[in-house]
Amino acid sequence: MQLTSMAWRNVWRNKRRSWVTIIAMALGLWVMIGYAGLVRGYLRQMERQILDVEVGDVQVHAPGFRDDPSLYRRIDDAAAIGERLGAAGFRASARLLGAGLAAAEDNSSGAQLIGVDVAKDAQVSAVHDAVDKGAWLDPKEPAGVVVGRYLARTLELAPGDELVLLSQASDGSMANDLYRVRGILGPVGGGVDRGGVFLTEAAFRELMGVPSGAHRIIVRAPEGMTLPAAKAGVVAAAGQAEVMTWRELLPVLAQMFDAVMGAMTMGFLVVFVAVGIVLLNTMLMAVFERIREFGVLKAIGFGPGAVLGLVLLESAVQTALGVGIGAGLSLPTVWYLQRYGLQMGPDEGITIAGVTTSRTWYAAPNAETWLLPIAVLLFVVGAAVIYPAVKAALIRPIEAIRHR
Amino acid sequence: MNQPIAELRDVHKTYRQGAVEVHALRGLSLAIEPGEFVAISGPSGSGKSTALNLLGGLDAPTSGRVLVEGQDLGQIGRRRLAALRRDRIGFVFQAYNLVPVLTAAENAEMVLALQGVGAAERRERVARLLAEVGLAGMEDRRPDELSGGQQQRVAIARAIAAEPAVVLADEPTANVDSETAAMLLDLMGRLNAERGVTFVFSTHDPRVMERARRLVRLVDGAVESDVRR
Ligand SMILES: Nc1ncnc2c1ncn2[C@@H]1O[C@H](COP(=O)(O)OP(=O)(O)O)[C@@H](O)[C@H]1O
Ligand SMILES: [Mg+2]
Repeated sequence: MQLTSMAWRNVWRNKRRSWVTIIAMALGLWVMIGYAGLVRGYLRQMERQILDVEVGDVQVHAPGFRDDPSLYRRIDDAAAIGERLGAAGFRASARLLGAGLAAAEDNSSGAQLIGVDVAKDAQVSAVHDAVDKGAWLDPKEPAGVVVGRYLARTLELAPGDELVLLSQASDGSMANDLYRVRGILGPVGGGVDRGGVFLTEAAFRELMGVPSGAHRIIVRAPEGMTLPAAKAGVVAAAGQAEVMTWRELLPVLAQMFDAVMGAMTMGFLVVFVAVGIVLLNTMLMAVFERIREFGVLKAIGFGPGAVLGLVLLESAVQTALGVGIGAGLSLPTVWYLQRYGLQMGPDEGITIAGVTTSRTWYAAPNAETWLLPIAVLLFVVGAAVIYPAVKAALIRPIEAIRHR
Repeated sequence: MNQPIAELRDVHKTYRQGAVEVHALRGLSLAIEPGEFVAISGPSGSGKSTALNLLGGLDAPTSGRVLVEGQDLGQIGRRRLAALRRDRIGFVFQAYNLVPVLTAAENAEMVLALQGVGAAERRERVARLLAEVGLAGMEDRRPDELSGGQQQRVAIARAIAAEPAVVLADEPTANVDSETAAMLLDLMGRLNAERGVTFVFSTHDPRVMERARRLVRLVDGAVESDVRR
């Protein structure tokens, strides 16, 4: 008769209690795995929104541009910096920025003019994917522009409509030209949604009289590079220009990311403290109602190690079942959440710190989605079982046999 | 005279319950010879269980010495004491105290398993033993499928399976009717006669005392009489 088979049978002595224990573990694990998958999906989605569509990992500006975004504060050697960044493994694309007025028929509105290198910009930004109606910019059609969704609503624009852009060119003259709306963006982020007008680089230079240089370089770091490492790499390539990470550019959002991680940790704690209490309770009951039995086992020759091993094996059996069931249940759940998502907010999405996130959360599982909750569960089981197990192991037979 | 197999020498045992001291044993001396069949009798509270627990190394005396096969239990460490209990002492308890999830055979072979005896040999020895205690064919029954007397037979088989120097039984017949008690006594008497197993048991049942070949009577934690027949 092996200790393991004895442990197995002991588990099934009180079927109801064992199932309560196993189901508590399985449910806790199930919730945690689904939750971990969703939170990772949420963060990835936010990251996609912010970093992919608008911000990038790191940005380069001319010194002072961020405090005073003037047409004249340009990175003169933007092209050379871009080449150095490319050689260092970064993806980089320069943008031209200016303020102006957009007018269509009876309406006009302030506009943020953004000139992009259509081919390169697609490597650092997903804004070209965010077109809701119509199409993205095409270098072959310099008169075509793409506008943000609220601006389009204000000006009652549809693809194909005409649009006049007015501004002051770099030589001080009046800049104005007639354009045609190629596309209207879906939710991207506060500023672009309200006033963004994307032009091809050539059209921007022509309108504003800016033959060279750029206002902003958006940089994406290679997969797996940490943000501080990325910043150091960009600083090395950027010379005099000012280098900032997305965390420095959007501190509120960075804090929110951290808060989401904190909330996830708290959620883990709450669930596992609850599971831990159930476990501690059932394990204590399982040990205390068998004090006599452990005493007899010790009297006839079981050592403390064997009794400890027996109790630990009993909880190992239950844990294995709990993990199996919980992880098994989580497979279809996570699959569903990855595919169909969880409806979290209003139809038009939620805008926080100028960044709009979708109303639907999708899970984005990876190995950690399972491994982390399982590791935490094992830790909780260990913490809950150690006291009853040691208690059982150290029972003095003389007292246990008198016990009733 | 042989060397005693188990011996109490001028043993005192005092329990402290809060401010109250209970003198359970007051200078008890008792030597058990190999092959003896000893009943310890005496009124409730006279110290019978305490004496057996001390002989079995389950508890330590307040003063005096306890020896098993010449070894002073007070002089050996906890590990060796546990090994000595496993290898040299068999226990039978009043409430049977079998492991409920194990079959009769598994309960009986437990000590052998702890000693590392191989599975095949265990099975063979235990099958013979269970037949000897009258449980042939019941090897695979769980304790809750056995009567009280049958459970106590399994407990006796468990106690003698490893061929200990002495079997200590605290009121082994107190939970069964007198007919079953007589049968258990027959069994222990036969194991004593045929196998030479040394038994020390406590009882306050006069019919059980009659069967003993040595009757020790305790009163107030000391020997009042010690009669060999
Ligand atoms: N663990 C203990 N704590 C306090 N008193 C005890 C303890 N064990 C036994 N006693 C007391 O010691 C005395 C002898 O007990 P025991 O050896 O059980 O006697 P018996 O088995 O002959 O009835 C009794 O008065 C009993 O109440
Ligand atoms: Mg007693």
